[in-house]
Amino acid sequence: MKKFLKPLEPLLDKGLNTAESFIHTHPKVNFFFGAVFEAFDGLIRNPKETAQSPPFIRHNYDVKRFMGAVLVALVCGWVLPAIYLYGWQCVVPKLIVSFIAGVFIADFLWVIIAREEHIAEGGFVTCLFIPAILPPQAPLWLIGLGAALAIIFRNILGGIGNNIVNPALFSRLFLTICFPAFLVTGYQMPLIGTQVIHTVPQGLDAVTHATPFTAFKTSGEVASYLSLLLGTTTGSLGETCRLALILAGLWLMKVKVANWRVPASYLGSVFVFSVFFSLILGKAVAPPFFQLLSGGLILGAFFMATDPITTTYNQTAKWIFGAGCGFITVLIRDFTTLPEGVMYAILLMNLLAIPIQSLMVKIRYRL
Amino acid sequence: MKKETIGVKGGFHLLDTYPLPFCTIIDEISSDGSPGQFQFPVTSQKVEHVIVNLCPTEPWALPNWVILKHKTATFLNMLKEIRTGYFSDAQFHLAINEKEDKAVEDAMNFAGTEDWIHVFPLCAKYPQDDPVILVQVLLGMDVNFGQDIKSLGILIVDAQTVLAMYEQGIMRKDVNSRYVVLSGTGLRENEIIRVELGTSVEKILKNKIKATGACRVFMNGPLRGNEISDLSQKIDWSVNNIVVLEEKNRKTLFPMFKADELAFTTSLLGELRRCVYCNFCDDICPVALEPALYYHSYIRGEKHKARLYHMEKCIECGLCSFICPSKLELLKMIRACKAPDKHA
Ligand code: SF4
Ligand code: SF4
Repeated sequence: MKKFLKPLEPLLDKGLNTAESFIHTHPKVNFFFGAVFEAFDGLIRNPKETAQSPPFIRHNYDVKRFMGAVLVALVCGWVLPAIYLYGWQCVVPKLIVSFIAGVFIADFLWVIIAREEHIAEGGFVTCLFIPAILPPQAPLWLIGLGAALAIIFRNILGGIGNNIVNPALFSRLFLTICFPAFLVTGYQMPLIGTQVIHTVPQGLDAVTHATPFTAFKTSGEVASYLSLLLGTTTGSLGETCRLALILAGLWLMKVKVANWRVPASYLGSVFVFSVFFSLILGKAVAPPFFQLLSGGLILGAFFMATDPITTTYNQTAKWIFGAGCGFITVLIRDFTTLPEGVMYAILLMNLLAIPIQSLMVKIRYRL
Repeated sequence: MKKETIGVKGGFHLLDTYPLPFCTIIDEISSDGSPGQFQFPVTSQKVEHVIVNLCPTEPWALPNWVILKHKTATFLNMLKEIRTGYFSDAQFHLAINEKEDKAVEDAMNFAGTEDWIHVFPLCAKYPQDDPVILVQVLLGMDVNFGQDIKSLGILIVDAQTVLAMYEQGIMRKDVNSRYVVLSGTGLRENEIIRVELGTSVEKILKNKIKATGACRVFMNGPLRGNEISDLSQKIDWSVNNIVVLEEKNRKTLFPMFKADELAFTTSLLGELRRCVYCNFCDDICPVALEPALYYHSYIRGEKHKARLYHMEKCIECGLCSFICPSKLELLKMIRACKAPDKHA
C-alpha cells in the first residue's frame, strides 16, 4: 500500500497545491468550496503551520486522532456487534443515511452559509451515535432527521468546544418529543434472521418487542444477565451488546481519550443507589445488576457521558458529574413511568456541569 | 541511606520518546580568539545545600557518561575534595537517573561511608531536573519559579560544572572549553563536541547542517531554550546543547504514515482548534495546575483571573503546549498572563 502510493504522492501533492492556490485566487470559488476543500485537505495532509513560540516541538496527538480513536471504539463497540445481531441490511443503510444527512448535507451547508473554517471530524462521531441510540427498526428518515438536527444544533452553539450538551442525545430528546411513537416501537428481537432489503426504509412495526426495562416495569420480569451482556435481548441498535461496548470503552480509557473517572463514578453510583433503593423498597425497584446491564447505561457511561466537552474540566468534579448522572438515572428508572433515564440524566448533568465546574474551581483555588 | 525513588506526578518521558543516539567520539573546536573562562560559582550567601544533578531528562542534554566515564567513584572523590576546599559544611545531594544502575550502586556504596552526601535515584521524566522540582523533591522546600535559590543557600550544579570546579579550584588549571551537544533533525548526525568558550554558533554548525530544507536553531533545547536567529552568538558556560530542527513549513501528505518523518521537527503536527477539555494538559503538568483555565481566562481577556489559579506555581516547562491536541499556545498565554498589565 505504502509502496504503491509512493510514486503517486508527488503528483497528488502538486495537484492539491494547484487546487489550493486556484481556490485562494478566486473569491467566488473560495466562498463555496474553500472550506470543503480545506476539510478534505486536512484529512490527508498535515498542516504547514510550525511552532512559533516555545516549546518548539509538539506531540503528534491532535484532535483528529482523538476523534479517530472514538470512531474506532464505536465501530468495534456497536457497529460490528449490531451487524452480527441484526444483519447488515439493518445497520449499514442507517449509517449511510446518518452520515449523508449529518456530515455531507447539514455540516457542508453550514460551513458554506456560516463561513466556518473547518468541517470538524466530530460530526462523524455524532452521526455514528445517532443510529445507535434509536430503535433497530427506526425508519431511515428518522435517522437522517436526527443526524441533521444534531449537527445543526451543535453548530448553532458554536461547534466543537462550545456545545454545552451532547448533540446526539439532544437530537434524540427532540425526536422523543416530536415522534414519540417511533421511539417506543421498533424494538426488534436480535438474531431473527436478516430482513428483506425493501422493508428497510420504513422499518417493521410488527416485530416490536418490549425492551428489558419495559418488560420489568410491566411484569416484573428480569432478563438473564448473560443475554443482556451478550446483546441477545431487545434494545436500541447500539446499546445491546454490552460486552463489546465495555471492551471498547476500556480501550478508550487506556488511550486516555475517555476519562476513567466518569464511567467509574457513573456505574458506581448507579450500583450504589440501586442497592440502596432495593434495600428499602425490595422488589418494587429493579435489582442492581439488572440496572447496570440494561438500557443504554453502558453506552451512555462509556461513550456519551465521557464526551470531554460536555463534562467538567476539573478532574474531581468529574466524580460529582458521574455520580449525579447515576443518581438521576436510578431515580428516573425506578420512580417514573419513563422506560429509560440515561438520556435525561446525561443531558441534565451536561447542563449542571457548568455550575459544578465553577464551584470546584472556587473551592480548589479558594476564591 | 535507603534507595528512594521519587518521580514527579505528571511529566513526560522525553528520553523514551525522542531517543537520540550519539557518537562516542568527541571532536574539539577552538574559537578564533582568546577563549572565555569558566567562572567558579561563588555566592555571597553561605552555601548550605549543593544539589548535583546527574539526572538529565532531556534527550538533547549532555548525557552522564561523557563526564563520569563510567567511573562514578572518581567523580565522587572530586566532589569530596571540592567540598573540603570550598563548601566544608554543606550537605551534598546527588540526583541520579535510577536507570543507570551502576552509577546508583557506586554512589550508594560511597554514601554509605560518608555522612555529608545523600543519593536520590530519580525517575528521568522531564522536568524532574527542573530547579524548582529538584529543590522540592530533594530538600522538601517549596520555592517559586524564577526565585533566586542561591539566596537560600542552595547551589545546583550539573556534572560538567563539578568537573570544571575541580579542575579550576583544586587542580588550578584553566577551564576554557566545555562540552556541547549537537542534535536534531536538521543536522547530518548527532554529536558531542568540546568547544572553547566564545566560539560562535555559526562556526560550530559549519558543514554540519543538512543541505536540504530550512531549519531553525535552538539553544538549550526546543522545550525550555531559546531560538537563535543570530548565528554569530557566542557560546558561554550556560549553553549545554544546540538543537537544530527541520522546519516543516509545507504540507505533508498522509501524515498518519509518516510519524517518523515529522517527529522532532518544528511542525505543529495538527490544526489549531478550540480547547476540547481533554484533560491532557492537567494530567501532564508536573505541578498539578490546570492550564486550560488559563487559556479560557486569556481568550476572554481576563488575565487577572488567570493569575488566581495558582499561576505562580507554573515552572514554565512547556509540557502543556507540547501535549495539547488542539495545539493551543498555552505557555505563551501563561507568560502573557504573568506579565503585569500595562494599564493597570
Ligand atoms: S490539552 Fe489543550 S485541548 Fe486539552 S484541555 Fe488542555 S488546553 Fe484544552
Ligand atoms: S508550563 Fe506551567 S502549566 Fe504548563 S505544564 Fe509546565 S508547569 Fe504546568
